[in-house]
Amino acid sequence: MFRTLTGFAIFILLASGCSLFRPAIPEESPALHYPEPDSAIVQMLDTYRPGMERLMGRSIATVRDTIGFDQPEGALGNLVADALRYRAAHETRGFVHVGIIGESSFNLIFEPGVLTLGHIYEFMPYENHLVVLTMDGEKVQELMDQVASLGGAPVSGVRFNIDEENRARGILVNSEVIDPNRDYLVATTSWAANGGDVFPALWEATGRMDLDVSVRQIFTDYFRGQAELVDFRDGRIR
Amino acid sequence: MISRKDFLKQASALAAGSFVPMYAGSNLMNGFAGKRLTVLYTNDTHARLDPFPDNARRFAGLGGIARRASLVKKVRAQESNVLLLDGGDVFQGTPWFDVYGGKVDLELMTGMNYDAMVVGNHEFDRGLDGFAEAAQKAGFPILASNYLTRNTPVNPYIQRQIVKEFDGFRVGIFGIGIQFDGIVERKLHGNVSSHDPITVARRGVESLREYHRCDYVICLSHLGFQYQNGRTDDITLAGSVAGIDMIIGGHTHTFLDEPVFIENPSGKKTIVTQMGHSGIRVGRLDLDISGLNGNPVIESRYYLIDGESTSLRGQQQTNP
Repeated sequence: MFRTLTGFAIFILLASGCSLFRPAIPEESPALHYPEPDSAIVQMLDTYRPGMERLMGRSIATVRDTIGFDQPEGALGNLVADALRYRAAHETRGFVHVGIIGESSFNLIFEPGVLTLGHIYEFMPYENHLVVLTMDGEKVQELMDQVASLGGAPVSGVRFNIDEENRARGILVNSEVIDPNRDYLVATTSWAANGGDVFPALWEATGRMDLDVSVRQIFTDYFRGQAELVDFRDGRIR
Repeated sequence: MISRKDFLKQASALAAGSFVPMYAGSNLMNGFAGKRLTVLYTNDTHARLDPFPDNARRFAGLGGIARRASLVKKVRAQESNVLLLDGGDVFQGTPWFDVYGGKVDLELMTGMNYDAMVVGNHEFDRGLDGFAEAAQKAGFPILASNYLTRNTPVNPYIQRQIVKEFDGFRVGIFGIGIQFDGIVERKLHGNVSSHDPITVARRGVESLREYHRCDYVICLSHLGFQYQNGRTDDITLAGSVAGIDMIIGGHTHTFLDEPVFIENPSGKKTIVTQMGHSGIRVGRLDLDISGLNGNPVIESRYYLIDGESTSLRGQQQTNP
């Protein structure tokens, strides 16, 4: 069928003259479609699937609701930012005030059902590690302004409103009004701290601790510890 | 049954993508008049062996190496002189890499008859031993002329350049990897050292053109398309080195709908292209010497691997 239609398309093309010979169409990709998988490659790939399933098919958690990275606040964003902050506190045996991570590192939303290890590795494919930064209140304010300018991002330990100029207003850090003159500890990933992601305020931290804990392991452990993963939002960004 | 709307979309896609004369007059001389070379290319496939899952935040349902293989097979059946090339970062990105460390990717690429790939920074993600172990599965050349690999486990698996002989003409292909500083940790690249891309590229072109008598020179680059911070990129490379006809890039995951043309020091144009990431698209460039005034006509197109998607422009770059 496709072959017949393709022949007809070429006929139209030839019959229409050179006016059709133009570069890419801006909104629709000028692409051809080849959806049929090659059977030899499928067969080769299938020989490796059992090994994949054995390691990656392990159940980690149950997902009750569809959860994603909504703005200004999303349930999945809350989960990953909380996971970073809580683990950082556990690792440092102290209080960590803020957790933050850019959502661009994540590939999936979660749908109801069993969440496997493979889902988590697909969700967060990068081998980043946990970093705890020291930032003064002024820098944390700047960081939250950067979050606000994006319309919201995964954060933990803070609450604020986004005003009409897309700035963070009324920032509370762990229920207290932010103090520009004191230091705060901020948990994030090595990728964000090293200059990736979209939060330049992180790059001007006054102190840094690199912890030998994989971010994917943090999520795996945190999700495993939840009875169910649900669409939970607490209005931390409004 | 295909709908009328879909059919018209496909028809116009064929029209737009199939026969667009992009540029006439590269470094190629008239040595193979009437001959045609088809270059198929990917980059940053990142272990995306299966299509993106349905709950993917972007590109759901797109990609998949078995579909890509089907396309490549079809083009090879239609054209006599085909090159299949990759711009690096085959490793990392899905659980396939976490479980098999790139071995499956390289084995399947061998099954597809890839002609060459360049080393990407993620090829070092499991250190030199991990890279070497996976590279044993590659039945095609892995290139990086600016990486010094002597006395390291990857030395047997990395070549500087290759020459492909076709019916009446020769194509030289060399690889340029990204410089390690700030990109690949020392503990991962070990005693492999990276060297200045432009200096090494000049030497490579001289060797391929003068000694190996190549008619056409392709650079597989994992430098990245373009930066604002002074790091050497494909645009800089193209503008600094004479004698490269085409740069197939990677690293920055740049979706170029059409190649760009950069004037090089000889006054001729170098084609620079890159095809996004994850095998969502396969790029194709056809060189046909029988075109305008005896110079090669470059016809450009790309294939979306199973797409209902609209424009893919402006996608955010993540952790390249």
